[in-house]
Amino acid sequence: MRSDRIVIVGAGPAGMRAALVLAGAGLNPVVLDEAPASGGQIYRRQPRGFTRAYDKLYGFEAGRARALHAAFDADNRIDHRSGTLVWNIEGRRLQTLHDGRPETVEFDRLLLATGAMDRVIPFPGWTRPGVYTLGGAQVALKHQACAIGRRVVFFGASPLLPLVASQYAAAGAEVAAVLDTTPLRAKLAAMPGLLAGGKTGWKGLVYLARLAARRIPYRHGITPVAALGSESVEGFAYTDASGRRHEIECDAIAFGYGLKSEWQLADLAGCGFEFDAGNYQWQVVADEAGRSTVPGVYLAGDGTRIGGAELAEIAGERAARAILTDLGDTGQGAALAACARRIGGQARLRRAIERAFPFPAPLARAIPDDCILCRCEAVTAGEFRASIDRLAPHDVNRAKAFSRVGMGRCQGRICGPAAAEILAAARGVEVKEAGRLRSQPPVKPVPVAAFADAAEDAA
Amino acid sequence: MNTADVIVIGGGIHGCSTALHCRLRGLSVVVVEKDHVARHASGVNAGGVRRLNRHPAEIPLAMASAALWQRIEDLVHDDCGYRQTGQIRVAEGEPGLAAIAARRRLVEGLGYSHEQWIGPEELFELVPAISRHCLGALWTADDGHADPTRTTRAFARQAAALGAEFLTPCRAGMPRRAGGGWQVPTDRGTFSGAQVVNCAGAWGGAVAAALGEPVPIEPIAPMMLVTARMAPFVDPVVASFDRMISFKQSPNGSVVIGGGWRSRAEPDANRAHVEFGELHRLIGTTLDLFPVMRGARIVRSWAGIEGAMPDAIPVIGPSMTAPGVIHAFGFSAHGFQLGPIGGAIVADLVESGATSLPIEPFSIARFAGQAWREAS
Repeated sequence: MRSDRIVIVGAGPAGMRAALVLAGAGLNPVVLDEAPASGGQIYRRQPRGFTRAYDKLYGFEAGRARALHAAFDADNRIDHRSGTLVWNIEGRRLQTLHDGRPETVEFDRLLLATGAMDRVIPFPGWTRPGVYTLGGAQVALKHQACAIGRRVVFFGASPLLPLVASQYAAAGAEVAAVLDTTPLRAKLAAMPGLLAGGKTGWKGLVYLARLAARRIPYRHGITPVAALGSESVEGFAYTDASGRRHEIECDAIAFGYGLKSEWQLADLAGCGFEFDAGNYQWQVVADEAGRSTVPGVYLAGDGTRIGGAELAEIAGERAARAILTDLGDTGQGAALAACARRIGGQARLRRAIERAFPFPAPLARAIPDDCILCRCEAVTAGEFRASIDRLAPHDVNRAKAFSRVGMGRCQGRICGPAAAEILAAARGVEVKEAGRLRSQPPVKPVPVAAFADAAEDAA
Repeated sequence: MNTADVIVIGGGIHGCSTALHCRLRGLSVVVVEKDHVARHASGVNAGGVRRLNRHPAEIPLAMASAALWQRIEDLVHDDCGYRQTGQIRVAEGEPGLAAIAARRRLVEGLGYSHEQWIGPEELFELVPAISRHCLGALWTADDGHADPTRTTRAFARQAAALGAEFLTPCRAGMPRRAGGGWQVPTDRGTFSGAQVVNCAGAWGGAVAAALGEPVPIEPIAPMMLVTARMAPFVDPVVASFDRMISFKQSPNGSVVIGGGWRSRAEPDANRAHVEFGELHRLIGTTLDLFPVMRGARIVRSWAGIEGAMPDAIPVIGPSMTAPGVIHAFGFSAHGFQLGPIGGAIVADLVESGATSLPIEPFSIARFAGQAWREAS
């Protein structure tokens, strides 16, 4: 049993912590990760030759980032293969591109710690150069010390909104405005839960205070109208809570509505899914220790349930201990219970964050007809609605076949949530009744040239 | 009790075409489809409208169907995305050239001229992007491709507009005799009719077996790869005599690559998974044939469930055991082009018990008793 090949996909906090726990138990986990260095998005490292200090890069999280990086780097029982894109799962085999070359990696037990990406709602002008997601804007800053613009508007509904805006302000960019689609009363209603949730809630207040200290306006209850400009972004138009229209000059916009789990590999592995009303998205079914519905496939971190870095790390430990238990180690009970307590202790905070930054579904349902919905296939919201009217698809997969929405290179990662809302609105049902886009391999585009060596000679 | 002249099991292109042609002759029709129209093979095939390199028994049917494709808009009031781009099948080596020579003798011997030999110069002129190692090709200039889902839906829509009833999603049970006709139990009650048509694709074997005439049908799952959009570089659909590949650039620029590579079909679970293991070789072949593909990116893939017969031609014709039942299934991954004529043939059989097209080779009788087992 102990010779089981254990593979972890993802070297963010969940995958790194899981690898450390497994290595600590004398195992040799393989960690596959797309990035050139470990850390995931949240603890992403700067390129070689960059020398910013930890507290500059990770702020409040510097201590945790430093500890995790150091432990992971020092552990030579972990087989970390960076630059590895896992693009398919077939049975007990992972198909990967490692530094651009195809490789198959076999496993007996698999932990998916695949993280999350920005959740967006298309708005007029969103495909214009200069429009970024909040996460993308943060990565540009954290990774390469680049700002997305000189004068930036931040908007949406996301814990990242005050965070990234204050990071940009601290880095010397001009923050033109921070515009939250959440009504003020909803934010206030969530406040007790946020503040009762320990340090995390208070950190949010610190970001708001830093913005206020720089006299950067933070508005609630806004509705985005458009990214303005001819070729690239020159401004942002929105209506305020009382319906009055405003325009702000800027050369870049960062927006987003929280995060969505990257569960495509879990889908290809055959894992079960459920719609999570709190997070307002489809998530992979996991038991109390991170086991999926497929024997031998485990889950941890934001790829399973959005919770942030701290929770992801605990969930990584928990999944690793579940693997050890399933391998016959009977001594994990107390540690598993401790993980469960720590995760449970954050439940109230998670609910408060979900309430403080709710996904504005009505905004998605009201995307104007002439706005591009699926940018890969260049389909407007109006064309999508027309195909629904004409062909009456009952779920998003049928709607995709009829309209090409979600058929392009992102496979609906970007436009999927908004498309599901539009379909649900047309059918007069809740969004979960519109279903979930099925994943198809490759989960990310793979270059044909990578397979050149597989060419067989003409017979 | 619900009644109709004809009860069609299966809403693929053959079921929908049957419904349309029956309505055109004034027969009342109910189509019973367990999922939705074009759910499986009819919706997920490559859309090839091809006579080139067909089984000799299928050529007369394919020629008749090609005539219907030429006026597909008159038939179903939709152009079905049909484009007459030609189809080409190249020879890459001596075995391919030998196959072309044999094929020409066969086809010309039968008196057909739709498959034309073209040498390297003409090939490179028609397909400038193709690799220069190719030695020549067979070419059918007025073959092409169409949008399979759209086509199948267009047949269904036109049949419905003329009064055919479509029950979707609605599962059909096995037909049973009732007086002089048939009853088909469904999720929405029992339907009775004078005749039953089995257009159930990969599930058609189960219907035949229930009628006492089992056939060696195999559910297969051909796989397709799709690339991100590329600047237009190839017009005809291209295949090879030497290797398994079918290659087509869609009007939107994406390239669709198939060629009969199969994955696992799970007809009971109603799904098929793509399995990339073997597809590495297909990708290699693609690069060999089209060097421009070096810059391409694969963005998705799919597999669909189809019923294949061991001799790779369908079952078309009356049941041997159940008078009033007509089979049209098992098209073995090349039934799309035959869709328009397939429904007409079945409507002939429903109406008069006979058709002018030569369908003897497709009789289910070929699998009866020992005869088939000995032959195989």
